Amino acid sequence: MGGHVGAPHVAIVGVGATPQGKLPGATPLGLQVDAFRLALADAGLRKDEVDGLLTMPGTTTPEGARNYLRLGEALGLAPRFTASLSMGGATALVLMQLATQAIAAGAATTVACVFGDTARTGGSRFAAAYGWGDSWGIWGMFAAAANSAMTARRHMHEYGTTSRQLAEVAVACRRHASLNPAAVMREPMTIEDHQASRPVVEPLRLYDCCLISDGGVAFIVTSVERARRLRARPVRVLGVAQAHSPETIGNPEWWYVPHQQTAAEAAYRAAGVGPEAVDVAQLYDNFTISVIVWLEHAGFCKRGEGGAFVEGGRIQLGGALPVNTAGGNLSESYMQGWLHVVEGVRQLRGECGPRQVEDAEVGLVTGRGMTLNCAAAAVLARD
Amino acid sequence: MTYAKPLPTIDDDNRPFWEALTHGELRLQRCLACGHHRYPIAPACPRCLAAEHEWTRLSGRGRVFSYVVFHHVYHEAFRPDVPYNVALVQLDEGPFMFSNVVGVPNEALRCDLPVTVVFDRVTEAVTLPRFRPLEDP
Ligand SMILES: [Zn+2]
Repeated sequence: MGGHVGAPHVAIVGVGATPQGKLPGATPLGLQVDAFRLALADAGLRKDEVDGLLTMPGTTTPEGARNYLRLGEALGLAPRFTASLSMGGATALVLMQLATQAIAAGAATTVACVFGDTARTGGSRFAAAYGWGDSWGIWGMFAAAANSAMTARRHMHEYGTTSRQLAEVAVACRRHASLNPAAVMREPMTIEDHQASRPVVEPLRLYDCCLISDGGVAFIVTSVERARRLRARPVRVLGVAQAHSPETIGNPEWWYVPHQQTAAEAAYRAAGVGPEAVDVAQLYDNFTISVIVWLEHAGFCKRGEGGAFVEGGRIQLGGALPVNTAGGNLSESYMQGWLHVVEGVRQLRGECGPRQVEDAEVGLVTGRGMTLNCAAAAVLARD
Repeated sequence: MTYAKPLPTIDDDNRPFWEALTHGELRLQRCLACGHHRYPIAPACPRCLAAEHEWTRLSGRGRVFSYVVFHHVYHEAFRPDVPYNVALVQLDEGPFMFSNVVGVPNEALRCDLPVTVVFDRVTEAVTLPRFRPLEDP
């Protein structure tokens, strides 16, 4: 494998996810500790073998950017390398990249990346206005759904994308969640169910929107060499990249989030493979339209063809490209893309039972966060 | 009756924008070094980083680049308004801004609809630029 940019022979060696959904009494810190413990056990590591700690503060984390301190104290760690970072749904992959680079540079040998949040029971800011100083609220422009609804409307206008095509994404995620005992929403959904769900911010309906969830997720990154001596089957990070457009409406292409394509192409380049090599994809799905746009940006179809691509079950298990095989943000749980990493790893380990993609060797994971600003992508492969 | 919706925080950086609106003018920053019209309001040109700028009066014309219709109430003051629209308007001079399109039912909105600014005085200090269709849609 020719991974030279973002892939210095590093592997994900442990993953952990707490129960998800509505968890009264849970705290972001407690969920982070639980997820870390699970990932450690999955890897077969002792905690004193972890010398790097990267975290994403949850929306309800009181200590914010000092979360690395709070969690490091709670875990009794003495890391050589640590930080907290907030890039919304891109953060898990950006931290994966930082971990990879830290290991390559000798700054750490084994890095835990951890997230926990109680957005469901603890209240969240997902409904707040965007724009600095919440300035978009002047116009009534609130909530993350509105940004993606702007994207969806323009995509519909330029390319003829339809609400029924958005429904295909929701239905695929729900079908996969029905095969995942840990998923929050498992009742079957049809395209008609989606079409009958209430409009939230048109053109998006309720079933176009992700869940809001409590939960914790962690994954552990180390060298491939070390990983091969551990309990779990290593999953290699072949390439991981980030790209951003901090400008929102100052960028005429903001609505189409072209930095997603920059990130995906950089991850492929580092991995030395292209979209044709990908057996299974975990594409960031805060809203259904995001999957359609990611399919275009990650090279599975051309610009404007994402709506047609998802038709006829093509992104379901058994289809040309199974997407979000655990149910995604839409139906498994909204962990802002962290569970996409967990599922990406489990698919390549062959641990997914009824939702396993047969002989999955290469997986793509993508993330996108903030006000459409931050994108990241990772190409993973079984060792 | 007091105005219960969010209002802009007017500061030294954005005061010329909001003051011009109270006089029925839409003005944005135009870079004196490269000519770029910029919005959001910023201390320097994001294209060339020059700080020198003038507050240029714009034509007020543009098009609806994209739009959404809110059904869910995210802020109590907007409850009487749902379903209401928010549009991403591209001004003829280039910049994009969020606003609302008035004088047209939401069902008649469409992308690329030509619009022109109207000035909606909501408080003594604040006049909001909204847009109406240039012709009957
Ligand atoms: Zn300039």
